[in-house]
Amino acid sequence: MSLNRLVTLSRRVTWGSLIPLFGPNGKVVSNVQFRRLFRTQTPSLAFAKDLFLGKVNKAEVFPYPEISREELEEINQFVAPVEKFFSEDVDSQRIDREATIPPETLEGIKQLGLFGIQVPEEYGENAFSMKKVQHTDEQFGCMEYTTHCSPSSSVALHTRQTPGCCFGILIAGNEQQKAKYLPKLASGEHVAAFCLTEPGSGSDAASIQTRATLTEDGKHYLISGSKIWISNGGLADIFTVFARTAVVDKDGQKKDKITAFIVERAFGGVTSGKPEDKLGIRGSNTCEVLFENTKVPVENVIGEVGGGFKAAMNILNSGRFSMGSATAGMIKKLIELTAEYAATRKQFNRSISEFGMIQEKFALMAMNAFVMESMAYLTAGMMDKPGIPDCSVEAAMVKVFSSEGGWICVSEALQVLGGVGYMKSYPFERYLRDCRILLIFEGTNEILRMYIALTGMQHAGKILTGKIKEMKKGNIGVALQMFGKKLRDSISTKVDLGLTGKDGVVHPSLTESTKKLEENVHFFGNTVEGLLYRYGKTIVDEQMALKKVADVLINLYAMTAVLSRASRSISIGLRNHDHEVLLANTFCSDAYYKNNFLMTQLQKNAPENNDDSIKKIAKDVLAKRAYICSHPLDRTF
Amino acid sequence: MNSTRRCFVRFMMSTKALVPGASWPCSNLGPAAQILRTFRVSGTVAKKKSRPVRTGYDEKPERERSLVADDDDDDDPFERAAREAGTKAAFDGLLDVFVRRDVRRRGHVEFIYAALRKMPDFGVEHDIAVYNKLLDVFPKEVFVPRNFIQRMFNHYPRQQECAIQVLEQMENYGLMPNVETKVLLVQIFGEKSHPMRKYQRMMYWFPKFKHANPYPVPLQLPRDPVDLARFSLNRIAHDLDARVAVYQFPSTEVSETGEKVSRPHVVGIQSPEQRRLLAEHNPSRPVFVEGPFPLWLRKTCVHYYVLRADPLPPEEKVEESIDPERSFFYPLELDLDLDRDFGDLDSFDVDEVEEGPVFAMCMAGQADQATLAKWISGLQETNPILGRTPILFRLESGPRELQQATESEPEPSAEEEPLHSQGMKQ
Repeated sequence: MSLNRLVTLSRRVTWGSLIPLFGPNGKVVSNVQFRRLFRTQTPSLAFAKDLFLGKVNKAEVFPYPEISREELEEINQFVAPVEKFFSEDVDSQRIDREATIPPETLEGIKQLGLFGIQVPEEYGENAFSMKKVQHTDEQFGCMEYTTHCSPSSSVALHTRQTPGCCFGILIAGNEQQKAKYLPKLASGEHVAAFCLTEPGSGSDAASIQTRATLTEDGKHYLISGSKIWISNGGLADIFTVFARTAVVDKDGQKKDKITAFIVERAFGGVTSGKPEDKLGIRGSNTCEVLFENTKVPVENVIGEVGGGFKAAMNILNSGRFSMGSATAGMIKKLIELTAEYAATRKQFNRSISEFGMIQEKFALMAMNAFVMESMAYLTAGMMDKPGIPDCSVEAAMVKVFSSEGGWICVSEALQVLGGVGYMKSYPFERYLRDCRILLIFEGTNEILRMYIALTGMQHAGKILTGKIKEMKKGNIGVALQMFGKKLRDSISTKVDLGLTGKDGVVHPSLTESTKKLEENVHFFGNTVEGLLYRYGKTIVDEQMALKKVADVLINLYAMTAVLSRASRSISIGLRNHDHEVLLANTFCSDAYYKNNFLMTQLQKNAPENNDDSIKKIAKDVLAKRAYICSHPLDRTF
Repeated sequence: MNSTRRCFVRFMMSTKALVPGASWPCSNLGPAAQILRTFRVSGTVAKKKSRPVRTGYDEKPERERSLVADDDDDDDPFERAAREAGTKAAFDGLLDVFVRRDVRRRGHVEFIYAALRKMPDFGVEHDIAVYNKLLDVFPKEVFVPRNFIQRMFNHYPRQQECAIQVLEQMENYGLMPNVETKVLLVQIFGEKSHPMRKYQRMMYWFPKFKHANPYPVPLQLPRDPVDLARFSLNRIAHDLDARVAVYQFPSTEVSETGEKVSRPHVVGIQSPEQRRLLAEHNPSRPVFVEGPFPLWLRKTCVHYYVLRADPLPPEEKVEESIDPERSFFYPLELDLDLDRDFGDLDSFDVDEVEEGPVFAMCMAGQADQATLAKWISGLQETNPILGRTPILFRLESGPRELQQATESEPEPSAEEEPLHSQGMKQ
């Protein structure tokens, strides 16, 4: 692993350019810089994890990240031709209909340099910080959903997938591998694919069947097996393949472990199946890839032999951060289109935009887009901090929130459009189909919720174990301390985590919402402690509780993101900052009630909690594998 | 057709015996009737044998009842009629004859008791229409109380008890009365009579219990032994993934020497989970074929065999540990030193006795080792491990009657003698 080397490679936003936003803030920022001097290794970025302890690391999320003027201009220069290309030269309806991307479009993308946006400068011409990637992705997102001439999101995915694979080489590959493969990938000369999924294996590494055996001379591996649903499977020249290899572990026992390989199509024995016919993202090429005794030189092992699992986890964790901005871009575009329709469509001599129920939908879309964007760029800012900060939890939260928000927004937009939205001659139904995949790929939202909740639980559990054990032993001191804390909580409802007030980081107009956030965070800390007390390590099996934990955390992170962003906007006086404040306040009070409800459900014996009944219903249904109620018209006599 | 007619005749003769002097309602009975007339029992004999009111259709010595004319088993025309042509049409015909014969329906209570008793012989005990027809035998409106005194006392108790008996028998056969029954009862006994009450109680409870059994057995079991085995095995296994395989269809062949060789059916069931368990089985330990074990399906008893192993001795048990490099997305285990709190343990303290795994089950037409070996060799195709595992046949000489009476006679020959713990290496 050359993580540290990568630090030096990756270009990043210099945090020196951060402007102290308002008075007391300067201190905070300088603190951050001071601390960073001593940390050459991974900095202690654990905002989401610390929320589990009822703490807000305000230094990590306030002020909202920025980029320098030059970088911004660079991005805008880059984006302008991309936008032009997508709006003029790409016929997404045709892509959707024919389920292929025409070669001239691919050529155009190649020339725009979209393939290599994550590849460091040394290896390719464009090297972007995560934030820039976000921004570009947003443009894709926006464009991929433009009404008349948008490519289906497949194009964006197509280009994104390649970085996804580059990522493997980028994160875990060694210097030679990078030098050999990255330039070609960056220039778009080669297309890459990421081969992990198998017919019997989604998220379970133990069921991977593809096998790599070392040849007798010890110089090559022979890979055999089949991988399904591989994006770009039919086009790719370079594959990142995960396969089982026999590894002798430290006890001297032979064990099967996963290893990652870079496989070129030119190695031979690689065949791709027929492209799959899909519901959405029909332009992207997804097919089965078969490996039959493909000879791969040992130099092409990514990382070390048997280290494929970690590599896969890293790639998967870092691959999903950009969805938020893409989805936000899509929603923005969608708002424009539907608002146009709502304003012109007349019923009963009134345009439908005057109706409350229609207005509600637009507010929802705007709010969702705003929150997604805020979360995505906050996370990107965290990732661009020096070191390799582990933002996988945050990234997962962005993915979950934006995919679900996106789905709801598209659905609501279709509702505004009524019958028009349902017709194939309009592009809207395609949006709906295309964005459904977001909830499924790059780790389904269910799996990501488990990841989010369990990572936090692990973090909090490590710290709280001693205390809980003392309490269980009946240590009077600890118990009294707890009792005192509870008593204090019940008497004074004011929670102050230092976000507002004298050393505050939030603009005064957002004080109310910030108080809500603080209260939620405090309550969340207590809830997590209660859960750990009750379930201990068996919390892993309490998926329904974990889902609620994850949902609360996502809401908390979203609240933080909008507060941070709105504070910045209002402080530097961005256009329409009052609208941002309005959105932020509305979202926060909405999320506040949702959080309170969820956390009440997580209390012991809460009457709001239906989990037991839900489990029972599911059990009954699954036992028969059918809906088991009698027909309402059935009779017994 | 002919036999049905004969049965009519016989029943009519026996009913006629009840009412000496009553003339035949139909005269075109032909020569058969003439001959059969000799079976007639004289009225005096019948009278002598008839007994006063009886309640409880399950009372034992029904035979003396006047309706069933003969003492001699073989010569009982009713029984023979039932044996020869036990059909619904025949039974209906008998009722029609009785109803048509006399406006006053003399002796109808006895007639109904007798008919009730004989219903299973005609195979109509599950037919609601027949019960209604039987109730229809009661004269209408005669027993309806007309004043408060009648209403207060048990009006026509014999008739009411008889009607209750009809309902009772329906109840025992799990048959629900219908609207027609109700109309009949109202016509015969009035709104608040005892049979009506009985009807109401039945209508209250029956629907409630109709689906009480989550594993209902159909009234009509499959006739084909293979289908029956399929049904029974699915019922025992109760696993939606389990697949039934027919290893041998029943057939009869004539061998070269001219002997008839019948091949019994062999039907087995195995689920993927069982296959996995078997694949994990240590081949140095034997597996056992055990049986036959009985399975009752209403009135049918079938037998099945299991392939099982002894439970693993404690020293061979491997603690299942979760590979930390297993889930790509989230940890399957938390590295915490905290157990579930006592207050949240919702499992009961149950003393569990461990049993060995059952790998597969089968049903066969014959209970000998040769037949069951067919099953094992069939299983071996999907479970290659059986080829390396010693298989012990532990067959008990249990009840040998198999499947159904209709089945080819399972002759226990010398080689088919139960084999106790005979080892058979595949």
